[in-house]
Order: sequence, then structure tokens, then C-alpha cells
Amino acid sequence: MSTETTSLPATGRLKTDEMIINMGPQHPATHGVLRLLVTLDGEFVKHVEPVIGHLHRAQEWQGQNRTWFQYQALIDRVDYLSGMFTSWALCRAAEKIDGTEIPLRAEYMRVMVAEMNRITSHLLWLGTYLIDLGAMFGFPFYPFREREKLLDLLEAISGQRMMFNYIRIGGVQAEAPPGWFARLKAFTEEFPQRVDEYEAIVTQNPIFLKRTKGVGILKKQVAMDYGVTGPSLRASGVPFDLRKVKPYSVYDRLNFEVPVFDGDGDTWDRYMCRIREMRQSNEIIKQCMEQIPGGSSDELREKRKACNSCDKADCPNCGGDLRIMTKKQNAGLRIKAGEGFAAVESPRGTLGCYIISTGGDTAYRIKWRNPSFSNLAVLPVLLLDHPIADIMAIFGSIDVILPDVDR
Amino acid sequence: MNSAVFEVSKFARLAVTWVCIIFGAVWLACWLVGVFIPALITQAAASSTAGQYWAEICRALVPLVAVAVFIPINAMFMVLAERRALALFTVRKGPNRVGPDGLLQTAADAVKLLFKEDITPRGADALMFTLAPIIFFAPSIIAVIPLLAAVSGNHPLFGIANIPTGIFYVLAVSSIPVVGIVMGSWASNNKYSLVGGLRSAAQAISYEIPLVLAIVTVCLMAGTLDVVQIADMQKGPFWNWFLFGNGALAHVKDGPVAAVAAILLLLCCLLLFLIYITGACAEVNRIPFDLPEAESELVSGYNTEYSGIKFAIFFLAEFTNLFVVCTIAAVMFLGGGHSPFGSHVETGFINWLGAQLQSLPGSAQVLSPAWLVNSLVDPSTLSQAIWIILKVYTLVVFAILVRATLPRFRIDQLMDFGWKRLIPLALILLVAVTFLRELL
Repeated sequence: MSTETTSLPATGRLKTDEMIINMGPQHPATHGVLRLLVTLDGEFVKHVEPVIGHLHRAQEWQGQNRTWFQYQALIDRVDYLSGMFTSWALCRAAEKIDGTEIPLRAEYMRVMVAEMNRITSHLLWLGTYLIDLGAMFGFPFYPFREREKLLDLLEAISGQRMMFNYIRIGGVQAEAPPGWFARLKAFTEEFPQRVDEYEAIVTQNPIFLKRTKGVGILKKQVAMDYGVTGPSLRASGVPFDLRKVKPYSVYDRLNFEVPVFDGDGDTWDRYMCRIREMRQSNEIIKQCMEQIPGGSSDELREKRKACNSCDKADCPNCGGDLRIMTKKQNAGLRIKAGEGFAAVESPRGTLGCYIISTGGDTAYRIKWRNPSFSNLAVLPVLLLDHPIADIMAIFGSIDVILPDVDR
Repeated sequence: MNSAVFEVSKFARLAVTWVCIIFGAVWLACWLVGVFIPALITQAAASSTAGQYWAEICRALVPLVAVAVFIPINAMFMVLAERRALALFTVRKGPNRVGPDGLLQTAADAVKLLFKEDITPRGADALMFTLAPIIFFAPSIIAVIPLLAAVSGNHPLFGIANIPTGIFYVLAVSSIPVVGIVMGSWASNNKYSLVGGLRSAAQAISYEIPLVLAIVTVCLMAGTLDVVQIADMQKGPFWNWFLFGNGALAHVKDGPVAAVAAILLLLCCLLLFLIYITGACAEVNRIPFDLPEAESELVSGYNTEYSGIKFAIFFLAEFTNLFVVCTIAAVMFLGGGHSPFGSHVETGFINWLGAQLQSLPGSAQVLSPAWLVNSLVDPSTLSQAIWIILKVYTLVVFAILVRATLPRFRIDQLMDFGWKRLIPLALILLVAVTFLRELL
């Protein structure tokens, strides 16, 4: 009779009754409103079912019922930690259909603000990930110190701290305010030392290593099968980064490396991958500041005194590559009829936008390809046979953001 | 001024204010119950047996009064200190709005918690659910009592607290709270609570062994279980502390064997202290051993379902437990209330001050103003109090610093570390210390 309860399963652990635990949507560590139906055997996970949709806001449907001008302001909310990328994907798709030409200065501005946004997103991930691991009070605040500085800069240029609405169809919203480039330069110079500081506390911390090394191993093939993208994929050894494999904007003019790990693809690799990406993004920003046509906003302002900021297309100080916007930004913003897909490499992976336009003031159909959604799909595989304490350690390491999953 | 220095100075000001309030209040209460009221009674009912009787009862109540006054305000201070210290470590300001310097923040929080609805979840075992916080809190109150005698240098007011098997009693009582945790987690009828409670039981059992082994080794060196005697053995300069092998270094010049033994003994004692601190962190569920309430995994662990005053009691007890283990460490390893610099300067000053007070006119007459001043100001107890406060709160700040730095262990790693590393090491040290003491 009692053979069932006393026999040892293949894993060598005593078999006990299974327990179903409902983690979320109010659980403090599910990064918002994810619900995980976890089946536990003792402390070990037997089955996980992510239940999504608690944050569904019909972002795609809203795109068909808002004018382009309204929608490009709305779309920052899809992934609120990296708003630049969602608006960039939308704008690239729309510009592709429309055939809009983007001035070079606007492209550089886009790359700069996007990489800044990538750093802020990774910094926030770093802080919250340490919270997931149980370092509740100390370390998580340090990344926020740098994030604040970047958000201040982004606020100065776009007027908003998170919902930037800065990258617009046809260019970018505004020229950088006076002194902005100097502040950014100062930041890029001090930032590598700050990352060194984080690494000094975290990277070789014995408890951190114990919690992350060999935990949540994501094999190369599994990652590719599930459509995982972004740092999680590269940590598993697949050198796939849209900025490299299919360079868009001015990424082909920039010299940077995409960190790829040939190890196990465990949690620690994903952590290191993001840390190195932050350093690379910092390098990219530095190069952009050197290469950007027209130089810093202050230099450009000096030059434009000669022509009194005439804004004429043939002016050497105001036109050509030095413009930042080619389309009129008002409610009459139209995109030509056609359909197109464009993707950017967001901090979480490949973020794609597919648009069908009929030439009206709204889109006919919009479909998003969100990295968090695809990355979340691999979670049940990753969590299998891990103890309950590792659920959040692994879930945090794939850096899912719930509005990005649910749209 | 440098803003970091400024913030630290503000924190120091806050700490000094609070500590003065706490110990002033405790001493005043003890003095009232132990000196002033008995004196009044004795005067009113001079030489009657009943008067003597009541005066004695009053004096016997002193340790209880001290603990009853001390525990709540001390816990309130520790909560505030922890929040302010964490803020300092993390480049923030911390609570600084309620009262001057945020002094009344925890008082406000306590009032809020007391007035919140006290919810008992459906399906919970109401009796157990209510008893759990009490069983969790009560031991930490009664555990401190023998320590009072040790930290006050066996002051006559706390004479009743001095029991010959003091440390045995303290350790025995302070291992009871885990029963409260398991009860509360079971009675909550919540899966997260249950997992937290079971983890807590496993953890407390595993980490109590190295902790007790470390203490036993010290008792072995001291040859007594009496906390007052253990504290007194560490009198004199700081190398007499058990942390530094209780004067082992004095034997360095007694020949090569003794020198090697002395240095090894010193190292063993340092390791013992580390083992004790690790075990203590686990015992009171502090990061990196806060698995029973691991927020990112178990919502809030064993106290998930608790609210209002019951939650407040859990919270209070946690900080009191932290204080208790730090006090044990200060008494057993850091010389209790004795000055770390020997006692030459201090003793001179204390004697001088005592003499000044004694020579106040009319101080021999009970209840005269001079007598009041004389009995209220006790220089030697004051010096003991200052040193023990410094030592205990240094350890508390260390615990906060650890909390600000480290992530959390996983339960299996915790068990591995406890059973495969700490316990064998503690056993080896127990034997090694016995052996090395013989060589000196």
C-alpha cells in the first residue's frame, strides 16, 4: 500500500505529496502582475504555468484607433523601462513604409538616447535582481544612483523621465538643451568606475556565486527553440544581436563588441552579459558624441548664430545632416499606404513592430513582437527541478517586464 | 561640509539622543522601584516587618521593571537606527520627518500598527494564531534578565537576576521563540507561512548547535556558567577578552611552545567569535539567513498573515532577539561592561566622582536632596553602561551593515554550510581550545 510514498524517484529524493502554490499576481517579487501556478514536490518545482494578461491594455488595438501622432506618445508605455526602443521600433516601421529620410544627426541622437535608455534599463534590472536574490536593502540603491543621473539627462532632452516620446516618425523631438553633451560626457567618463564598484560588491561575492552559478541553465538549442532573444540568448552562446547581425541606423559606423558567453548559459552568465553590455553601451555613447555631425548642441548653437537659426534646408548650419526632424509633428501626421516590419535590439531582446497602413491618419493593423513575451515562454523549462527559492532568482535573470508581455 | 560626514554626524546625534533616553528611562525606573519607593516605605513604616517585607518585594521587582521599560523603547530605537543606518549605507536620507531628526518615526509607526485592524484569516486556528506572537516574544524578554547582572557589574539592584547558571538559562530560553514561529506559521493556514515556518525550524535547529558550541568553549575557558564571573574574568585591557583568548598573548614570552599555543589560541578564539556571530545571525533570521521570511520567495514567510498588534509583536521580538544575541556576544567575548583600556584612568575618575558625591552635605540622611543625587548618580554603573552600550550597538551596526551588503542563501546551501562547515569547525575548536589551554 505504502510503496508509493516510500519509493525513491529517479532523482533520488523522497517522493512526497505535490503542492500547488499560486505565486502572484500580488506576490511582491513577480515584477508586477505575473501569476505563476507552481506545482511543488517538497521544495522543488515540478511544473510551472505562467498566467499572463493581467496587464493587458490592448496596445495593438489602440494603435488602430489613435492617430499616428497620438500613438507614438502612447507606445512608450509598452515597455516602460525602455520606452525609447518601443518608439524607435514603431518609427522605423512607419518610416520604412513611408520612405521617410532620417537626417544623420537625428540617427545619432536616436542611438545615443537609446543606449542611455539601455543602461538605465540594465541598471534597474541589476538592482531589482539583487532584491530577488535577497539583498533587500543595501546594494539595490547604488544602481539607482547612476540611473537617476541618466534619467535626469533624458528628462532634460525629452521632458519626461520614463515615457519619453522623444523618437518620432521622421526624426527626434528636440535638439539637446545647452550643456547636455558636457553632462553626458562627464557621466560616460565616471560610469565605468561605477560598474567596477558594482562588480566589486557582487560579481565574486561567494553567496551571489552560490545562488547564480549553475542555476537556471539555458542551453543554446533550447534558447533558440523558444525564440529567446537579447542578453539571455547571448549568455547562452548565440551571437545574435540585431545591432550587429542586421545593423540599422548608424550602428554599422560604430565600433563595439556584443558580449557572448560560451559557457552554460546560467544565471551568472546572464548577469555578466548585462554588466558588459552596460560598458559597451557606454562606449557607444562616447563614440556617438565624437561622430555626431554638427558636434555638441552648444557648438551647433554657436554656428547657427551666423545664420540666425534659419532652419532652411540648404543652410550649412541648419539643413542636411544637421536637421533632427523631417516630418511635421501634428495631428495631421500621415503614413503612406503599405506594410512593413522593423525591429530593434531592445535591452530585453528583439523588439519588432509590424504595421499595415492604408494612408489614413491611423494604422490599419499593428502587431508587436515583444521580447519579454517570447522570453517568458522558456520559464517553465528553466524552472523545472529547481528549489522554490530559485524561482525568483531565475525569473529575475531573464529580465521580463510584464507590460511588455501583456501589451 | 562634506554631505556624507554631515549625514553620519546627524545619525550619531540621533543615536546618542536615543541611547540617553533609553538608559535614562531604565535607570530612573530602576531607581524609583529599587531605591526611592523602598526608602519611602521604610521611612513611613519604620522598623515594622510589613514595611521591610514590601520594600524587599519592591527591590525584587527591579529586573522586571528594567526589562519592561527597556525592551519596547530599545526595539523602537533599533528599528529607527536600522532604517537610518541602511539609508546611510545606501546614499539616502532615511526617515527624518516625524519629530526632531525623525526621532519619533517608530513611535508613529507603532501607534499606526496598534490601531490597525487585527485580522485572523478564515480557516486559521485562532487560539494558536494569537498565542504564537506571545510565545515568540516572551522568551526574549525573560532571556535578558541574567544578562542585566552581567552588564551592570553585578549591581546590588539587579542582585536577584544573578543566577549561577546564567548563560545556560539564557541559551535555553532564547531557543524557545522558534516554537512561536512554527505555531504561527501552521496556524495561519497559508502555504507561504508554512514553508517559512518549517524553514525556520530547520534553520534554528541547525544553527543553534554551532552557536552553543562556541559559547560552551568560552564557558570551558572560563570554568563557569555564571555570566557575572565570565564578564569579570575579562577585566583589564582588551586582550583579556575571550575574543582575544583571555590574556593568551601574555604567555607569548613563556617559551616557544607556549608562544605557539598562545597564538593558536588567539586564532581559535577569533574563529569562535565568527562562528557565534554567524550562528546568531541565523538564529535571529537576519540577512543572509533571513530565509523564514524571504520576501522575494515567500511574500513575508511566517508572518505573512499577521497584521496590527500581532505583527508589531513579531517585529518587536525580532529586534529584541537581535539585541539579546548581541548582548550575549558582548558579555561572552567582548568583556561585558568593562573598559577595553584597563581601568586606570576610568577608575580614578569614578572614585573621584564617587567621593565628591559622598561628600555632599547631608548625603547620609535618607530622602534629603543630597541623598537623592547620590543614589541617582552612580558613576561606576554609568561607566559600565556606557561601555556595554558601545559594544552592543557596534555589533548591532555590524549586523545592519551585513544586511546592507549580502544577498540571501538558499535553504539547501544554508543547511550545507551549517552542518558541513560550521558544526565540524566548532567541534574542532572546542577540542583545540581545551588542548591549547593546557599548553599555556
